[in-house]
Amino acid sequence: MTRRRVLVWGGLAVLVVGTLAWAAWPSSGATTPASRASELATELRCPDCEALSVADSDSTSAEAIRADLLRRTKAGESDAEIRQVYIDRYGESILLKPTSNGLGLIVWVLPVVALALAAVGLALAFAKWRRQPRLEATDADEALVQRARAG
Amino acid sequence: MKHPARWAALGVAVVVGSLAVVLASQVSTNPQAAEQQSRLVGQTVPTFTVHTFDGQTLSSRSLAGKAVLVNFWNSWCIPCQQELPSLKMFAAEHAGDPSVVLLGILRDDTVGAARPYAQAEGISWPLADDPSAALSLDFGTRGQPETYAISPGGLVVGSEYGPASVKNLDTLLAAAQSHP
Amino acid sequence: MKASLGILGVALGASSAGLGICVLARGLWKHEDRWLIVGRRFVFGVLGAAIVAVAAMEWALLTHDFSLQYVAENNARGTPLLFTITGLWANLEGSILLWVLVLGGFLAFTAHKFRHRATDPLVAWANIVGLAVALFFFALMLGPANPFRTLSSPPLDGSGPNALLQDHPLMAFHPPLLYLGLVGFTIPFAFAVAALITGRFGEGWLADTRKATLIAWGCLTIGIILGAWWSYEVLGWGGFWAWDPVENAALLPWLTATAFLHSVIVQERRGMLRVWNLSLILSTFCLTILATFLTRSGVLNSVHSFTVSDIGPWLLVFLGVVAAASIGLIFWRGDRLRSPGKIDTPVSRESAFLVNNLLFAGLAFVVLLGTVFPLLAEALQGKQLSVGEPYFNRMTTPIALLLLFMMAIAPALPWRAATADVLRRRLLLPAYAGGATMLIALALGTRGITTVLAFGLGAFALGGIVRQFAVGARARRRAEGEGWPTATRHMIGANPRLYGGLVVHVGIVCIAVALASFSAFTVRREVSLARGGSATVSGYTITYLGNKTTSSAQKRSVSVELQIHHGGSDLGVYAPAISTFPGTSDGIGTPSVRTGLLRDVYLTLVSSPNQKGRITIGVDINAMVVWLWIGGFVIALGTLLALSPRVRRRVRPEPAPLADTPTPEPPPTREPEVVGV
Repeated sequence: MTRRRVLVWGGLAVLVVGTLAWAAWPSSGATTPASRASELATELRCPDCEALSVADSDSTSAEAIRADLLRRTKAGESDAEIRQVYIDRYGESILLKPTSNGLGLIVWVLPVVALALAAVGLALAFAKWRRQPRLEATDADEALVQRARAG
Repeated sequence: MKHPARWAALGVAVVVGSLAVVLASQVSTNPQAAEQQSRLVGQTVPTFTVHTFDGQTLSSRSLAGKAVLVNFWNSWCIPCQQELPSLKMFAAEHAGDPSVVLLGILRDDTVGAARPYAQAEGISWPLADDPSAALSLDFGTRGQPETYAISPGGLVVGSEYGPASVKNLDTLLAAAQSHP
Repeated sequence: MKASLGILGVALGASSAGLGICVLARGLWKHEDRWLIVGRRFVFGVLGAAIVAVAAMEWALLTHDFSLQYVAENNARGTPLLFTITGLWANLEGSILLWVLVLGGFLAFTAHKFRHRATDPLVAWANIVGLAVALFFFALMLGPANPFRTLSSPPLDGSGPNALLQDHPLMAFHPPLLYLGLVGFTIPFAFAVAALITGRFGEGWLADTRKATLIAWGCLTIGIILGAWWSYEVLGWGGFWAWDPVENAALLPWLTATAFLHSVIVQERRGMLRVWNLSLILSTFCLTILATFLTRSGVLNSVHSFTVSDIGPWLLVFLGVVAAASIGLIFWRGDRLRSPGKIDTPVSRESAFLVNNLLFAGLAFVVLLGTVFPLLAEALQGKQLSVGEPYFNRMTTPIALLLLFMMAIAPALPWRAATADVLRRRLLLPAYAGGATMLIALALGTRGITTVLAFGLGAFALGGIVRQFAVGARARRRAEGEGWPTATRHMIGANPRLYGGLVVHVGIVCIAVALASFSAFTVRREVSLARGGSATVSGYTITYLGNKTTSSAQKRSVSVELQIHHGGSDLGVYAPAISTFPGTSDGIGTPSVRTGLLRDVYLTLVSSPNQKGRITIGVDINAMVVWLWIGGFVIALGTLLALSPRVRRRVRPEPAPLADTPTPEPPPTREPEVVGV
């Protein structure tokens, strides 16, 4: 019985870990200028639009930027250089995801910290509940429950 | 820690309060206000060559030595149509002055649509197409209309986003002329 | 005439709400039941007044009465009937009219439901809060957002609704559903406030407002999905969700409301999490007001909008009052809100709900932070920043995957504590199904850990749900000797809430799989074609047959006919178009979509025929988009199921043992099995 249990759960673990490792295996070849350009296009905001990226927009300016990105990646400019060109031209608001330095750090770090803190709090609460002995209900408790149920 | 709910409520109150202050400070400001100035101001004008509707060729080099206002526009854009009277007045004021050039560039429009419109409106200044929006990209335009002032020395000295008044245009020109 | 009638309606509504508040307050103050019974009736006055005002506006729209500014700006003689009617919510002022109508409906529904308890102070307080919200929106219409402004010299023809709003019939359904959702949360909010004021935190008010909360949640969900559908069918950029501030604003209350629907079950079962539940429902309502503020005040609009409405400060003040009142009430009652009970082990249903809530709250926090961050950055540093799709995708995907995982395991976890044996019996098979799905997806060429995980977790969750249905129906079949269909029907009828919730989960799985496929497999191309020419994208051959120009009073359209072939079979002719509307010369593209169960062929006309007759078209091959809409339909179905009354049958003396006997539980507070939505 125990052996069977190890077998079924172990089999599941192997299946899941194996498939995930396969899925995460870097399979795509080297990046091409075209793939870099289309990746950059998803990061830049179309200057004429509200929230659309250059990759998603059909506007003339987005089209021009796509062509420009391709030209620059083909010319061998690095992603950071190209981003800087666009920041110089349009300001930082051209980037759809804020850079992770300065003020932009808040938006990346704060949610992670908040979720981590909440998770730790939850874990502590469980530890506290575990330490608490299972109490027998006193009459006062029963009364409290009755009141609560009565609404 | 007698009543955790109270502490939590206090914390939330602080966060919400500061958010409210931020929202309140933004509600009165115009979202465009901070965007009025182009990043290009203070830099050398991008090199360009354009062909006007009537077959002229204008370039950043051929315009050197003149105070130039470059106006990005479209025939279909309503703010551009609202701006047109100011541009006309400005063009008329400086019609006899060869050292002042007003140049209209189509930002996102076809010559087929813009030329009849320009004729009907009696636009007198040179208008040029910007195929593939290369020039519009080099200037970093964010919409239309948008007007840039270029000094005789080839420096971008000012910009105006949205429909400009005659006074705005005169200010831009003065800035261009006061620069070497 | 119509304007006066409309103003009369608005004024009547405002005074009904105001009077109602005064009468109810007096009744509460003096402890006179008579006043409470009379005060309740003002709610129906509010509804009647809203109906009068809306009717006046519709009358004006239908008769093209351009002496009303609103009609002149949002209607034209050439506007088709459907879009004339929907003109009511084509713009701010009309939307607020619709808002008060929906609010009046919800308030009247609640007042009617509680007609026998009108003298209960809790109900009276809830009515006061509801009426106060109504009073605010009526006041908006008397002040800055008056829909019945008249023009001294009416134009001969109006300018028509915004071009984007008169292009698709979905426009008729998306905004009203969204309002039904957003406004509906006023009811649980009102009861939560009433519970805090009266100090009666029992589970009563929760159960009483469950129906309104669930209706609101269902409508909001469908409204959001219809909005995505409209965006996909009309806007022509190939996607359906852009993480635009306006979209985020509607998503925020949805997230907290979904968290609430789950955690409320813990309170009903175990009497725990009271502060948390109250906070969730209070913040849901605050977020609906924040949503209205963000979309209507213009603080977050793009550089493109040259019109700014001036109701922003009003909404902000209202939001401030609501938030301050909510926080103040929780603070005031902080000492009484401690709930009895504790959670015994981390592996149990109640702790799964806790984790679920943590994740939903985290998701809401990410979306809220990303949405308001540009404002923060500008206030703090005077810097213009954007936060868009890449940020939201990066931050929300891990949380969404965790939620999917919780959705797969939580319904199988027993209350109190789980034993390894129960876990094995309930989870092993679904987990293997998930693992196998990942393997198959990989073998078929799927790459990217996110996509593979989404498929695997989706299958895991689906497997668990199928198992739960099968086990339940089998037990019933054995016990009662019924056939499978009857057994399933009776099983659902006996606990519609549980099975409705599970059906909603099926819809969520559909949507998760669709989202993962869309982002992984979509192919976008732009091709230029001469007449008769063709191009092949991902095995689909597109042939340009010809073009057609049509003009009507409403619009002028150029459409091109494109034939789609796939693997030798003809999939038909599709005609994307570009339309221009009078008054605006900017072309609006209308995509044409060949919908398929696995792939959509999404065609857009990028540029109409040039001098040489060549056109440029966008060809997107979008994977599994239709499952988003199917998922939405399934969610609607599940919500209706969860709302349906429970069928009580004669109880047999000795209930047959279920295959899955749950671990011994204390007597439940309300319903024997309370899971899911």
